[in-house]
Amino acid sequence: MQFDRRSLLRYSAAAGALGLAGPLAGPALAAREKELNILCWEGYNSDEVLDPFRRSTSADVSAESGTSDPDMINKLRAGEVNVWDVINVNQPWARDEMWPEGLIKPLPKDRFEPFFADMMAPFNENYKWCYSEDGANLLGIIQRFGPFNFVVNTDKVSRATAEDEGFNLFNEASNAGRFGILTYDNWNIFHMCIGAGLDPFVPHSEAEIAAFEKTARAWFKGAKLKTDDLVAMNLALINGEIDFYLTGGTYTASPARLDGSTNIRGITPKKGPLAGGKGGITWVEVTSVVNNPQVSPLAYDFLEYVQAPEVSHAVAFAEGTYNPVTQMGNKEVFDLFSSEELDAIQWDSLEEELSNTVDYQINPDYEVMDKIYNAAKREA
Amino acid sequence: MTAATESTLSDSTRPAPRPQRRLRNPGLLAALPVLIFLALAFAAPLLAVLGYSFMPEGTFDFTFPPTIENYHTVFSGSYYISFVKSLGLALVTVALLMVICWPIAYGMAKIFGRWANLMTLAIVIPLFVSENIRLFGWVLFLIKGGVLLGSLQTWLGIEAESILYDVPAIVLGLVYVYLPFTLFPMVLGISMVSREVTEAAFDMGASRWQVFREVELPLAMPGILIGGLLTFILSLGSLAESKILGGQAVIMIADEIETAFTFGQNWPLGSALSVLLILFSGTLVITLLNWVDLDRILGRGRDD
Repeated sequence: MQFDRRSLLRYSAAAGALGLAGPLAGPALAAREKELNILCWEGYNSDEVLDPFRRSTSADVSAESGTSDPDMINKLRAGEVNVWDVINVNQPWARDEMWPEGLIKPLPKDRFEPFFADMMAPFNENYKWCYSEDGANLLGIIQRFGPFNFVVNTDKVSRATAEDEGFNLFNEASNAGRFGILTYDNWNIFHMCIGAGLDPFVPHSEAEIAAFEKTARAWFKGAKLKTDDLVAMNLALINGEIDFYLTGGTYTASPARLDGSTNIRGITPKKGPLAGGKGGITWVEVTSVVNNPQVSPLAYDFLEYVQAPEVSHAVAFAEGTYNPVTQMGNKEVFDLFSSEELDAIQWDSLEEELSNTVDYQINPDYEVMDKIYNAAKREA
Repeated sequence: MTAATESTLSDSTRPAPRPQRRLRNPGLLAALPVLIFLALAFAAPLLAVLGYSFMPEGTFDFTFPPTIENYHTVFSGSYYISFVKSLGLALVTVALLMVICWPIAYGMAKIFGRWANLMTLAIVIPLFVSENIRLFGWVLFLIKGGVLLGSLQTWLGIEAESILYDVPAIVLGLVYVYLPFTLFPMVLGISMVSREVTEAAFDMGASRWQVFREVELPLAMPGILIGGLLTFILSLGSLAESKILGGQAVIMIADEIETAFTFGQNWPLGSALSVLLILFSGTLVITLLNWVDLDRILGRGRDD
């Protein structure tokens, strides 16, 4: 998820090309039996995951990752539905936006529903984010997931203290200069809401938005460093530049843990202002088939292929970050994980952490809060 | 004799040429492939950015009536902070690099002889490594417990705070990354100052300072200007130094543009910021180049 001037130029070039080629792109795509284009979070685009599929199908498979869920979905909205076949984003988007907007196709239930039976609880029984609101259509299939809240160096702050204090850790004035902010903007906004005692997933009053702003400004002022690079953030945590950072979890702590820094730990607060008094959020990726007028038939085969035990393990431990997969409910999949790998993804506390979290949902006030967030960051 | 009179004379003495089909504008025709390529690969994306900057907030195509709301957002918000800070950092970088590079460039052009090639190589080779990786190397060097502070503590028992995640670290990164862009044009500039001219100045009683100010500096000016301009524009649009070394202590304008295009999903706002940055840098370059008149400095054009 690194961005530099080159990627910005690429964006501009893509925007230009889109303007020119948009109307022409449709008829150019025909006979796509041997071609598959995947829009996904990093990991699904790794060679470990894609190469065996390329070999078995002799297809031309390409995959691209984005910086955020809306970033990928807006590509479809901007006319790229006739480019992509598969889209992999976090749980709320398929059901709440992509399906109502006609950007994705339903999956054949008889082919894909049986896969859920082998998944971990609570994903094994009609996981609501995989279905349309009326329950009639299966919109996607799930695999990677993880609690995503904050990360501490347990040599400096114990797990128990961190779990009890929750995001108040960042509110305490004495902790200014001790923490970093991993700038995944949308997640920071969720966590700043929690820090302000708000549920980010409901509409907010003006007073609540003001409370959010106060927290955002205080946290940016107190942050010793801000970066969107999880490696740089983990390095600062390991070397003692900071003692904890917000917006993080198994996804960001696991690479450091697998490298032996098991004092780096993702924390899920025990309680908080979220629905049911919960204090943390979990993301679950839902992979869907794009409503491409000439969708590649390989899209469905790919969704089936990633369910296989070896591929599930490869997806969990693809390059960059390591995450649990729902398929670990199946013993055959679980047995492929070594004890070091299980420790890296905090298997010991995973069930407990899941029970203290709610699902990632769409923040109805994201646009307003994003503006406040960026002003606070700039003016800190 | 001018080229025009020569051709008139020769035309009148030669028999009339046989009528043949000639390309009316062969230059344009030959340049056409490059022009088409530039129009598609260079102008079209810029035009798209310009077009988006007049679309309503958060939209993704050009079908809406144009609006200036994005520019209003930029001017009414606190984006000026990012513009001013980026500008300040770019100016400081250029000023520091001028001072740092002059002695090195002077040495490379006039003193080091064949060692200058080795120096060039030593400065160029790191450019083959990605900028991000080189900056990350600096993080490993400067971080608490890293190469510098770790060694100080282990060997001398000195405990010091790192300079990472603040403005000095960003300046260090900018100076380090853009040094070659100032240095090499400056070396070319200084090598244009002939030894005879400086010797003549000394013979006529000029002091070292006078030779520097009145002979070397003006004669090396094209190289200094080009290097300075290149460094200024690159620093103004920089991103990685603030992100990797500076812990985003300063939000650079390029960072704001990236955020608008990615997390903000507000292409029109990102486009408006880009257009303003391009306009600002473009105006600056054109004004400066008009003002200094490179042709005159290079000894071509008007004086002939």
